[in-house]
Amino acid sequence: MIVNFNTAAELAIACWATGSLLSFFSGRTPALKIPAFALSFAGSAIMAGFIAFYWSALDRPPLRTLGETRLWYATLIPLVGFLVEYRWKIGWLKYYCMALAAFFLAINILHPEVFDKTLMPALQSPWFVPHVVVYLVGYVLLATSSITALHNVYMQLRSKGNHTGESVSHYLALLGFVLLTFGLIFGALWAKEAWGHYWTWDPKETWAFLSWLAYLGYLHAFRYKIDQSKLQWYLALAFLVLLVCWFGVNYLPSAQNSVHTYTQS
Amino acid sequence: MVVVRRRLFQAPWEFRESALFTALAVVAGFVIQIASSGSGIAMPHLPFNAIALSLFAAIVLCTGLVLRNTPLVKWLGGIPLGLCLILAIALLSLIGGVIPQQASAKSSLPVLLGLNQIFSSWPFAGAVLLFLANLGISLSWKLIPVKPQNIQFILFHAGFWIALSCAVFGSSDLQRLVVPINVGKANNLGYTMDSDTPQQLPFSIFLHDFSLEEYPPQLLLYDPHNDKLLMNKSQAILEVRKGTTATWQGIEVLVLEYLPSALPGNNGIPQPADRAKGIPFAKVRINSASAQREAWISTGSPLLKPDAAQMDGFYLIMVPGTPKSFRSAVTVQDEKGHETIANLEVNHPVNFIGWKLYQMGYDEKAGRWSKLSLIEVIHDPWLPAVYLGFFMIMAANILFFWNGIKRTEVKK
Repeated sequence: MIVNFNTAAELAIACWATGSLLSFFSGRTPALKIPAFALSFAGSAIMAGFIAFYWSALDRPPLRTLGETRLWYATLIPLVGFLVEYRWKIGWLKYYCMALAAFFLAINILHPEVFDKTLMPALQSPWFVPHVVVYLVGYVLLATSSITALHNVYMQLRSKGNHTGESVSHYLALLGFVLLTFGLIFGALWAKEAWGHYWTWDPKETWAFLSWLAYLGYLHAFRYKIDQSKLQWYLALAFLVLLVCWFGVNYLPSAQNSVHTYTQS
Repeated sequence: MVVVRRRLFQAPWEFRESALFTALAVVAGFVIQIASSGSGIAMPHLPFNAIALSLFAAIVLCTGLVLRNTPLVKWLGGIPLGLCLILAIALLSLIGGVIPQQASAKSSLPVLLGLNQIFSSWPFAGAVLLFLANLGISLSWKLIPVKPQNIQFILFHAGFWIALSCAVFGSSDLQRLVVPINVGKANNLGYTMDSDTPQQLPFSIFLHDFSLEEYPPQLLLYDPHNDKLLMNKSQAILEVRKGTTATWQGIEVLVLEYLPSALPGNNGIPQPADRAKGIPFAKVRINSASAQREAWISTGSPLLKPDAAQMDGFYLIMVPGTPKSFRSAVTVQDEKGHETIANLEVNHPVNFIGWKLYQMGYDEKAGRWSKLSLIEVIHDPWLPAVYLGFFMIMAANILFFWNGIKRTEVKK
């Protein structure tokens, strides 16, 4: 299984790398545009195929361990980059997205998780897939929003105005926030069925709430017409809270009793 | 253009006043927390908490509507104060997200400040109450006069207000009790997590049967010299079935035969047996540098000792799989003649006269031979109100998608 993963991941990274290179030179040679896109897209398609294969081999959606969720991010983040290019005609985002996806796969290659095939009873629920999928897509959007904001900050430092970039990071954050809200509520409804109460301040819940508050704060600051260029810093950094929520929680002292750590004793 | 910097407390108030006010409120909360010697808040029960919440809601709405043009109320319901309160709640939650949240008998400064039980501490309650006031006032402005374009705003903010306020004010009415029952017995006493004194329930639960299903057992290599369990080369968890192979440093294992449920037979060859009595057995072939051998290994049970295979100073052992599902067949009845027969399972709770019954646990030492089932019973009269809030927020989200899509079309 792990051998298969390495092959698929390395192939995907190779596709993204050559796709990016070709795309980079397609400014001078427009004929390269189509093969560049085809190769970049093939990288994600390979990962999507691997997920489908892995899903059927596991008999459950590969959404449980952090290593498994990284597979999804690696597949979906470049797709957001392509979509943004298509919708807003912004080309640079896809490079960041593919680099981030390659980074996620590299983590999985270098640190193979102990993939546990079994699913504990509390996780066998119809809420499982919607809860995780909504969060996944939300995180992907917010990751892209953060990357866009970071790029905007970089452009500001070189004193180049970038209004389209600012509206891209804003819309991605807005959409991401809506999905975070769904994820939080789905999680609460599931918790009521599985653990007896909708909210218990489990460390993961607390951090999910914190991330939600971070973006709630952003949206209100935006609404209050605080300088958009300053808010790019906020958006770029807000993702750090999500990162803690996503994998940092397991290392915090508060996590010892969490239902979200999934470590086997 | 000359920019004149607004002095502190010069109208209209904005971020500096809001930050100062919020900081003072949080500090005041910590002072009260220390003054009450770290005991936290005790919310009154129904109907008093409902009356208090109604009064609070009425005051907030009236203040927002009647005094909507005064600078002070404009500030109280404004975004700057809202942002500062969000930040305060976030920072207090951050404490709760880092410091383990559990009761402590020690009287250190963090305990005195309530940092180990931050979510029921005075500063957190104060910040949430002020936030509800801020949110409520801003909501009142959009509620009256009501406009169609404000529906999404109203659904989201009112939903959040209802869910948050009912969760906070109703927390005192939440009852969570654990009822331990042995097979063939009934029980009507429940225990809370922090008390040994049982509480009488308005119903009794009779346990007909408890059953547990396990995932296939797993293969591990035990190193007795270092008292360590060794992972195999692929680092994956090895489920035992016919044909499973595993490799450790210099040792190769192949599962030749697997009997999920068997009992020891003559000549040391296990015989298939009934699921209720049998245990998993596996015939393995072991190749090491020194020799090749075949052996039967088993997980053991409370009545049978496990069989392991020894080679090169290591033991190949088979450990029972993790639980896949467990359920209790119960009859629940009260004195008025209500009766329900149900199968309680994780993720499949059962409702009975306003209570929810959950399969919680069992005697983990006995594993699938457990004769004890732990049922959690929960009564939360405020749940429908909290859910109403949740569904309003989700409705607002769906409207957001709908509106968002329409707006993009207009732009084109």
